[in-house]
Amino acid sequence: MEKRKVTFRIRRFNPKKDSQPYYQEYEVEVVKGMTILEALQFIKDNIDPTLSFRAFCRSAICGSCSVKINGYPKLACKTQVFGELEVYKTDILTIEPIDNMEVIRDLIVNWDSAIEKMEKMRPYLIPDPEVVPKTLDEECKVYPNELKKFDRFTDCILCTTCYSVCGIVKVDSNYGGPFPLARVYRFAVDPRDALKKERAKIGYTFDMWNCVRCEKCADVCPKHVAPVNGIMKLRGLSIDIGLKNNPGARHVAAFYKSLLESGMLNEVLLPLRTKGIKGVLENLPMGIKMILKGKAHSPIMKPIAEHEGLRKVMKAAMEVE
Amino acid sequence: MLQYDIIIVGAGGAGLYAALETSKKENLKVAVVSKVFPTRSHTGAAQGGINAALGNVAPDNPEKHSYDTVKGSDFLADQDAVELMCQMAPKIIREMEHMGLPFSRLENGKIAQRPFGGASFPRTCYAADKTGHVMLQTLYEQCVKNGVNFLNEWFALSLVHNGERIAGIVALNLRTGEIVGIRAKAVILATGGHARIYWKRTSNALGNTGDGPAMALRAGVPLKDMEFVQFHPTGLRRTGILVTEGARGEGGYLINKDGERFMKRYAPEKMELAPRDLVSRAIETEILEGRGFKDAEGNKFVYLDLRHLGRKKILERLPQIRELAIDFEGVDPIEEPIPIRPTAHYSMGGIDTDIYGRTRIKGLYAAGECGCVSVHGANRLGGNSLLDIVVFGKLAGEDAVNYVSEVSLLPFEESAVREQEDRIRALFNNDGSEKLADLRNELSDVMTYGAGIFREEKKMKEALEKVREIKERAKKIKVYDTDMTFNTNLQQTLEFLNMVEVAETIVLGALERKESRGAHFRLDYPKRDDENFLKHSIIERGDDGELKISWKPVKITKFQPEERKY
Ligand SMILES: Cc1cc2nc3c(=O)[nH]c(=O)nc-3n(C[C@H](O)[C@H](O)[C@H](O)COP(=O)(O)OP(=O)(O)OC[C@H]3O[C@@H](n4cnc5c(N)ncnc54)[C@H](O)[C@@H]3O)c2cc1C
Ligand code: SF4
Ligand code: SF4
Ligand code: FES
Repeated sequence: MEKRKVTFRIRRFNPKKDSQPYYQEYEVEVVKGMTILEALQFIKDNIDPTLSFRAFCRSAICGSCSVKINGYPKLACKTQVFGELEVYKTDILTIEPIDNMEVIRDLIVNWDSAIEKMEKMRPYLIPDPEVVPKTLDEECKVYPNELKKFDRFTDCILCTTCYSVCGIVKVDSNYGGPFPLARVYRFAVDPRDALKKERAKIGYTFDMWNCVRCEKCADVCPKHVAPVNGIMKLRGLSIDIGLKNNPGARHVAAFYKSLLESGMLNEVLLPLRTKGIKGVLENLPMGIKMILKGKAHSPIMKPIAEHEGLRKVMKAAMEVE
Repeated sequence: MLQYDIIIVGAGGAGLYAALETSKKENLKVAVVSKVFPTRSHTGAAQGGINAALGNVAPDNPEKHSYDTVKGSDFLADQDAVELMCQMAPKIIREMEHMGLPFSRLENGKIAQRPFGGASFPRTCYAADKTGHVMLQTLYEQCVKNGVNFLNEWFALSLVHNGERIAGIVALNLRTGEIVGIRAKAVILATGGHARIYWKRTSNALGNTGDGPAMALRAGVPLKDMEFVQFHPTGLRRTGILVTEGARGEGGYLINKDGERFMKRYAPEKMELAPRDLVSRAIETEILEGRGFKDAEGNKFVYLDLRHLGRKKILERLPQIRELAIDFEGVDPIEEPIPIRPTAHYSMGGIDTDIYGRTRIKGLYAAGECGCVSVHGANRLGGNSLLDIVVFGKLAGEDAVNYVSEVSLLPFEESAVREQEDRIRALFNNDGSEKLADLRNELSDVMTYGAGIFREEKKMKEALEKVREIKERAKKIKVYDTDMTFNTNLQQTLEFLNMVEVAETIVLGALERKESRGAHFRLDYPKRDDENFLKHSIIERGDDGELKISWKPVKITKFQPEERKY
């Protein structure tokens, strides 16, 4: 059986006792097949009972255990230790709490504000009396192709991983955030819902147009939900219902332009095209904040290598639409 | 001290359905207490589906559903309860569907149904292999809609009553460490199952530790049919994490070392879709008789082969299973068979209740896996538990709403809170000569040895003694973490103490039931004995602190016991 000595460098913090977070190292002999969660529990059982983290299902379905492993947020329970050693070519793994939320203790964060925000966004079906039968003797008809439109978004386990990496969440306290907005979209395209496209107004109110489409939320989501896709589609619905003549809708056009030019989303130049110089000046503080926090690219960007290919795909996609 | 009309302990399917029911009534003060955020509850892990005789795929009716359930239970289920559940099933499925639950659909827009073990028709409604997950999310969403009040990350410690009526509970706020008395006219326990007692090989979440039954036992409330623990045939080799029965429902095969589909020797007609107790024993027999596989770590197993289903079907109907197999076994079921072995899965026994969830103490209810209305008897059919939790969660909620309109709050002695504070303080001050993790593993081994898939008197007697010894030794476990902010060391210790308490009832029940029925299989009494044991076992803690066993008749309405053949 393959074994390796691994040093877990874990960020510790108990706000009631410690003035500063600090790192503590634990050396563990790990057998192949062990997950990060099993390693944490091993440390708790055998080395340090005070190490605090959350976990419940240990099978990637409850959303309790997201932590940062060498800077990248993942579910501890579905991440193999050997896999991480391979990726980072190291014997030291740094485990930290996820970002954008206050630490309660060690790896345990306070997700209340993310959840409260979602709860304000009416994340539940409001039955459409035209579609949902009045009695329980009948089912609604939902066809497989209708289900397909929102099915993926019902995979969300509320692990808040996407929320923790979103740069806009960090700088715009009104921003709904990736998983809550994706959930709004989920209901907007459920044929049983009474609000339907009107739900885009909720997205609008919670600043969905501020999403810079960086796709980080899609990259980190352990359930492959890709909240950003929901947000983009919700924006589409918003245009459909006539929320058009606004910076947001102009932003869409500018976005395509930027993509076609550089092949990458140029986050800082975007406001210039949508809002003009005045708009940029208004947005400048946020832009600078984002660059400083490493959440945005510098305004000067080179076209990416596969740019030609991308341009073709984009053109084709637009023709289909 | 906090004060409510109704407290619901647990936010899984049972707790949330009870909460929805209470939210229909205005001006009631209700709180749901849960040790985890609601959508983290274990109901979310259910994969395969939920049964209801909708007849969308093949003609079906509640009576056939009842018969299959009673037969599956090896005739130990109470038939009035089964009939009620199966009658309510189609309506409650549609109720959830009207709430937005995204069931998988047929081409004609109706809810799709798949075959499941022990059912004579494709009766199981599902959402790919994430049925419990979407169910839990949908119920939670509706609770948000109805403004249900949640106390999340609170751990219930004890029940407070005056011998006749409930007065409330004492709970620990995990985030702050405060120990708080919560007064209420009614308390609904919906704390889920206890298969974590088999710590090293179980499909259950880390917190399925029998907190509800343990609290009930301490409060003098009896438990029913505790000897019946279900082992699910297909747990992943290393972790025991579940591969849904849906995988066999979709056509998966079981294969031994000789490449043989061995189920043909055990259930020639139903093959892999025989009920769980039968399939689990078949797999264990193959392994015991040397026809299983063994890996470098010493794990023994057989294979579940899905390859012939093809990529498309696997991706469409079993996407999560594929991912679990890849993440936890390094095996992609599209290309390779999945190594599996039976895993402790479900608690058929629990707090003794009637069909409204009422217990011996007035105003105290139990619903869901922690309770035992007795619809599963000696063996639960796949897809019947998700149904059980919503039906009886709803009924308990309804009954509690009526009950609280007629009664007032009881006095709640502060001493009940101090008692729990003292109990916890003692855990900080123990000598620490015993270690939590070691005892937990020992308990798991003892239970697997004495009260596992195959049982016999000698082993059970040893196990009972061992469990009692572990219980004594557990008095020396020390909680080293003394900080009260999110003290998970304390939480895990309290959970372990609950498990030991419940474990004792399982072994005692198993020892006294001298027959084989459903999941309870005794090598020394291999036959079902209706003459002596067509009855429920009832275990409670007497005034002297010792466990007492008694028996209660099974309710039989339509279906006379017959030999169970598949
Ligand atoms: C892997 C797996 C797959 C399954 N698949 C299926 C299936 O396909 N079909 C089917 O019908 N059944 C299935 N089951 C069974 C079914 O999922 C469970 O029986 C059911 O979900 C239990 O629901 P519940 O509401 O009783 O409890 P749970 O969902 O377990 O909820 C228990 C709640 O109680 C709370 N709680 C517990 N103790 C305390 C305490 N001390 N203080 C405060 N709160 C507490 C928890 O926080 C939680 O909110 C499956 C089970 C497993 C393990
Ligand atoms: S794509 Fe949008 S929602 Fe997703 S992380 Fe980036 S800014 Fe946030
Ligand atoms: S969208 Fe994905 S990352 Fe975000 S909360 Fe849901 S499951 Fe987690
Ligand atoms: S423990 Fe449930 S997602 Fe990791």
